[in-house]
Amino acid sequence: MIDLDLVKLWDNAFYGMAIIIFLVGFWIMLTHSNLIKKIIGMNIMETAIFLFFVAIGYVQGGAAPILDQQGVSYVNPLPSALILTGIVVSVSVTAFALSLVVKLYQYYGTVDANEIAYIRRNEE
Amino acid sequence: MITQHLPALIILVPLVSAFIILLLGPNYVRFARHTAMAASVVLTVFALLLLLETTQDGTIRYYFGGWQPPWGIELYIDRMTGFFLAIVSSINLLVLVFAAGVLEQEIRERVVAHYYALFLILTTSLLGIAASNDLFNIFVFLEISSVSAAALVAVNGNRYAMEAGVKYLILSTLGSGSVLLAIANIYMVTGYLNLTYIAEALPAAFAQYPLNIVASLGLIMVGLTVKAALYPLHIWLPDAHGSAPTTSSAVLSGLVVKVYIIVFIKFLFRIFPVDFIEIFPIQPNLLVMSTFGILMGSILAIRQTDIKKMLAYSTVAQVGYIFLGLGVLTPNAVIGSMLHILNHAIMKTILFLSAGCIIKLTGIREVNRLEGVGRVYPLPMAAFSLGALAMIGIPPLNGFVSKWYLGLGALDADQPFFVLIILVSSFLNGLYYLPIVIRSFFGREPRFSEIKVLPIGARFTLTALAVAIVVFGLFSALPVGYLEPAVEQLFAG
Repeated sequence: MIDLDLVKLWDNAFYGMAIIIFLVGFWIMLTHSNLIKKIIGMNIMETAIFLFFVAIGYVQGGAAPILDQQGVSYVNPLPSALILTGIVVSVSVTAFALSLVVKLYQYYGTVDANEIAYIRRNEE
Repeated sequence: MITQHLPALIILVPLVSAFIILLLGPNYVRFARHTAMAASVVLTVFALLLLLETTQDGTIRYYFGGWQPPWGIELYIDRMTGFFLAIVSSINLLVLVFAAGVLEQEIRERVVAHYYALFLILTTSLLGIAASNDLFNIFVFLEISSVSAAALVAVNGNRYAMEAGVKYLILSTLGSGSVLLAIANIYMVTGYLNLTYIAEALPAAFAQYPLNIVASLGLIMVGLTVKAALYPLHIWLPDAHGSAPTTSSAVLSGLVVKVYIIVFIKFLFRIFPVDFIEIFPIQPNLLVMSTFGILMGSILAIRQTDIKKMLAYSTVAQVGYIFLGLGVLTPNAVIGSMLHILNHAIMKTILFLSAGCIIKLTGIREVNRLEGVGRVYPLPMAAFSLGALAMIGIPPLNGFVSKWYLGLGALDADQPFFVLIILVSSFLNGLYYLPIVIRSFFGREPRFSEIKVLPIGARFTLTALAVAIVVFGLFSALPVGYLEPAVEQLFAG
């Protein structure tokens, strides 16, 4: 069994928070029928992953990774660099999803997935 | 000189051509088509060269920009990857040949040039996912593939396609989000993103932080099975593949779903050693999900009236087959899975393309109204029938061979129950494919106001795929001979 160590938990609060935010986003994506809210949930989820990733590279009291002084501990720059790419990807996915939702709104007059399904069922 | 850079070129050629097409804008449709075609021909040649090279030298490693791993990005082409690269590039070429003359009738003229660009970007991402040996690089390609695939669904412009596109995009982002979190966990405990280095560092990391590894395994499992549409997580697939334009459906069903299985294989074999997987309940989960997938996919397909939706549900069942092989995890079963990736790519492409032709020529989408169509339009209907028979698993055709190996693998693992599942599912396949075949050839001949002619490209592609079905059925020793060492390589780690 995992024994609960509060000090350890506090030291790793970054990760805990990131997971909580991830679950919030996941929950919003799965339970809300409003498509805009789904996309917001998607963004919250991805932001949580980015926070998690950046927290991995963080070193308590570490300096920026500019290699000119000796004997200083640096923050790991790799996760930040990766997440920069991740943010770009997430922005483009969001933009594309929103543009599709705009089109759907023009067709159906609503952004609610349940209402769209209802309209479609009545058409058939 | 240039052959040394083949692994990088295979990703760069389609990417650069896509951007050239986009730069010129939507008015240069002919130029776009020729560029896309030329890029695909070059790509296919490169992929086949790589395939040959893997048979001689085994694994090809390529360091991007000359940076050595673990710092630089590495492309790693083993036999399994080479196999998949060849499938992707050749199916891609055949579908593009088909598209000439058919595509213009299906989507608005303004977007045809952009469609070719999107198509090439999707191909880039598929090849990149398969070839890359760097986890973050794989994630970026995964996202490129979800965006471009959703765009290829929604490009139709009609509202069903739009809706399917949104659904597909949201669910596949959910999948890639899970995969990214898994990658974060793996990076956190091992400190590497390169698969080879992770595999070395993993046992020590597992002793110290077992929970992270377990969490990442779970997340990978969920993320990739959502994207590959394994049964309870398949809900996006029928809408997306059913409402997309013909050529998109063919590629989405034939190739895109498979690439996530390739990533899954990479995770299973390259990162986690086989004895390691056995500690976790991955195999039992896969077996349960794929068994339900095989049965439910076929049962749901029987209930469909729309021919493209029916084919889409059949894909759910076939994805189940491929995962079944990975769940059984004996060498023969994995060979069966890999073979089914090839064979299903050919079969589903020919089925979707010929169904698209039939819809185009007759305007009929309903399965039970296809009576006598085969007499008026013999070529597309014959192609459809051949694909359908191969799907059921009639012996000399290719679908039989992969089912045979899956069955052998299940027997090796002492699990004859799954042989029964395969047999039952073949029967169910027959139940929804055979009536169409019989009705369309032996039914009353319908009267159409005009008889349309298929473009030459479409006829060529259908014939080529039909030949491929027979060739890979009769000469199945060819792919099997290639795959046996490939699977040995995988099991060796």
